[in-house]
Amino acid sequence: MQKAPATAQASPKKKRKGVSYDHYGYLFVAPFFIVFLVFQLYPIFFTFRTAFTDAIGWEKILDNNLIGWDNFKLFFDPSSNLFVSYWRAFGNTIVIWLFNFVPQISMALILASWFTSGQMRLRGQGAFKMLIFMPNIITATTIAILFFSLFSYPIAPVNTLLQQFGLLNLPFEFFRSTAASRGIISFIQWWMWYGNTMIIMIAGIMGINPALFEAGLVDGCSSRQIFWKITLPLIKPILLYNLVTSLVGGLTMFDIPQLMTQGNPNNTTDTVARFIYSQGFTGSHNFNYASAASIILFGIIVVCSFLLSQAMKDRDKGAKKK
Amino acid sequence: MKKLLSLVLAAVLLMSTMSFAVAEDETVTLVVWSFSDEIDGLIQKYFTPTHPNIKIEYQIYPNDGNQYTQKVDSMMAATPDAAEAPDVFALEAAYVKKYVDSDYTADLLDLGFTADDFASCIPAMLQIGQNEAGVQKGLAWQSTPGALMYRASLAEQYLGVTTPEEMQEKVADWDTFVETAEELKDASNGEVKMVICGGDIWNAYQYQRAEGWVVDGKLVIDDQLYDYLDMLKTMEEDDLTHKGSTWSETWYAGMRGELPTLCFFLPTWGLHYTLKPNCASGIADGMTEEEMKAQSDATGGTYGDWRMVAGPVGYSWGGTWVGANAAKVKTADETKLAAMKELIRVLTLDEDTLYKIAVDSGDFVSSNAVVEKVLNDDIDDANPFLGGQAHYQIFAEAANLANGAIMSRYDETINSLFDTQCVTPYTKGEKDLDTAIADFKAAVKTQFSDLVVE
Repeated sequence: MQKAPATAQASPKKKRKGVSYDHYGYLFVAPFFIVFLVFQLYPIFFTFRTAFTDAIGWEKILDNNLIGWDNFKLFFDPSSNLFVSYWRAFGNTIVIWLFNFVPQISMALILASWFTSGQMRLRGQGAFKMLIFMPNIITATTIAILFFSLFSYPIAPVNTLLQQFGLLNLPFEFFRSTAASRGIISFIQWWMWYGNTMIIMIAGIMGINPALFEAGLVDGCSSRQIFWKITLPLIKPILLYNLVTSLVGGLTMFDIPQLMTQGNPNNTTDTVARFIYSQGFTGSHNFNYASAASIILFGIIVVCSFLLSQAMKDRDKGAKKK
Repeated sequence: MKKLLSLVLAAVLLMSTMSFAVAEDETVTLVVWSFSDEIDGLIQKYFTPTHPNIKIEYQIYPNDGNQYTQKVDSMMAATPDAAEAPDVFALEAAYVKKYVDSDYTADLLDLGFTADDFASCIPAMLQIGQNEAGVQKGLAWQSTPGALMYRASLAEQYLGVTTPEEMQEKVADWDTFVETAEELKDASNGEVKMVICGGDIWNAYQYQRAEGWVVDGKLVIDDQLYDYLDMLKTMEEDDLTHKGSTWSETWYAGMRGELPTLCFFLPTWGLHYTLKPNCASGIADGMTEEEMKAQSDATGGTYGDWRMVAGPVGYSWGGTWVGANAAKVKTADETKLAAMKELIRVLTLDEDTLYKIAVDSGDFVSSNAVVEKVLNDDIDDANPFLGGQAHYQIFAEAANLANGAIMSRYDETINSLFDTQCVTPYTKGEKDLDTAIADFKAAVKTQFSDLVVE
């Protein structure tokens, strides 16, 4: 390597002969980095900065003053309206997420263990997997509008059907009932995502050494014992991955509540992402509060993910020590 | 040397004649932004043929999910004087106030208009195009007065009403409106309802207020609104509406007559583009009046059964305004400024154009002079859909009743908060009045950090 400059000086013509294509690589990756810098990294820093300013309204989005932690304090001051709406939205988000996540992971586990079971040998697996995964491909907008028209009041398919089967005498106003509205949102989230979770679970179970299952069978394990004692402990990392991604997705839930219920009835389906949107893009355009709210949400997600992975790590260590 | 000199001279001469020629038929380009192709259609039909020198670059950003307003907002906040920024842009009723109240739209007097130019405009449409200080910043070519449409057969069967005049007496104000609703309920054993929902009433009732939502930066809850809450609560508890919502399947079922409903509050466009195409199932685009009637008769629809009256209050619903970009007005040269003025003038003030629009499309236009001219034209405007009633006359009377001054840039958001936090929960008995009002105020305060809420 040291010699290279010397030869170049000695015979400059020689250098021209050897064409280096190395720098073209940078050109090929450049589009990604430019897009990433402009549309992802810069907005993140911009959000962090905006959270510490008095940027209310479009006029002040670029021309504003730094005001320190004042915006954040409002979110932890029980007498402020922002505190009430933000943490109410947070509570709603958690409830809706839990009622979606628990059934989702259970259903995905059951289906995954059936599809991978050597004893069951289900027929038409491909078709079933595709059908179960299908809702994930449809856009959330379409689904929100579909369910809104299905459950409308007083004339809509679900009400008509329930009345015809004699289950209801009068039409029921689903979107004025907290339980029904949250239930429908949770159901949609579950229905859209259990197929996706199932595919990941199947991949996880297929990754387990088949010798372990065989050994279990030879030792006379029931299929229930195989599931609880072999499958479940070995796919824990996959479960953790699912838990974390679902938590992040759940806490940032926006499209279905926004399009279907707009937070109704009485703000019981208002989610954190909806709160952030309404602060930043409706009313006075409180960009500063919207940014502060996003950063608080970001902080909560980071802490939750860290705690979950930490909990998992400790257990692994404990297991190894045994 | 002489040769060279003459050559240079010749070149200079040639160039000067060339540049002169360019100045002679100089083309100005105007960038126009809108949320639909409606204005483009008007420009191509009524403006471009007579103004070949003004080239229009038309940009459409559909306002699904507020895409259009966000596009305008970010463009105006960052580079309002860029070449691709609009010179003239369209403003829909939902957000026209937001823009005329901002610095983004120019005072139309700066474009060379004078106050006299607006003399014959319908007041409500003018008022909505003004900012808080009364500066004219937007103009409309349409006027969208509202009326009350009712089913003649139901009115006759249950209320014994045979003429529109009698009907108007039955809905002269909101108290009689509720009384009529009770009468209708008793006469029909609760089968026929006055309206589909409270939201329908709101579109008209909001014009009953003496003041808008915000006065001097303060939230105002007009006394009339408490009456409105009482009225809707009575209607909900006594089962006087179908408890549906505007633009829902229930709403259209009411129009088709499947859900017997007496009244709909609808404006000019609502009559032609909402009620008529939904008066029976199976009405398709491009059907003639006869075909629609046949289809309606075959499917038990409501074609020909509708009549219209002014109703309890004069109101306006919808409309599109055009405004000029203030930053562009500041930097524009005389030719460009004149072109901007000409475009806005032809689209919204020019009586010949407005008359043509009225005749060609049946639109109700924004100039009283033109409306009068259309009425004086001995045309047969008996509308078979309204059983031979002449709709233009009634709209013309209603048009000058609405008070556009109560509209504000806060309306879209505050109306929706009033509905979700206060009206619906209160009338459905989920909250008492005090809680409902307090929740509404808190919600307004949370969304509008710069408003005083007491």
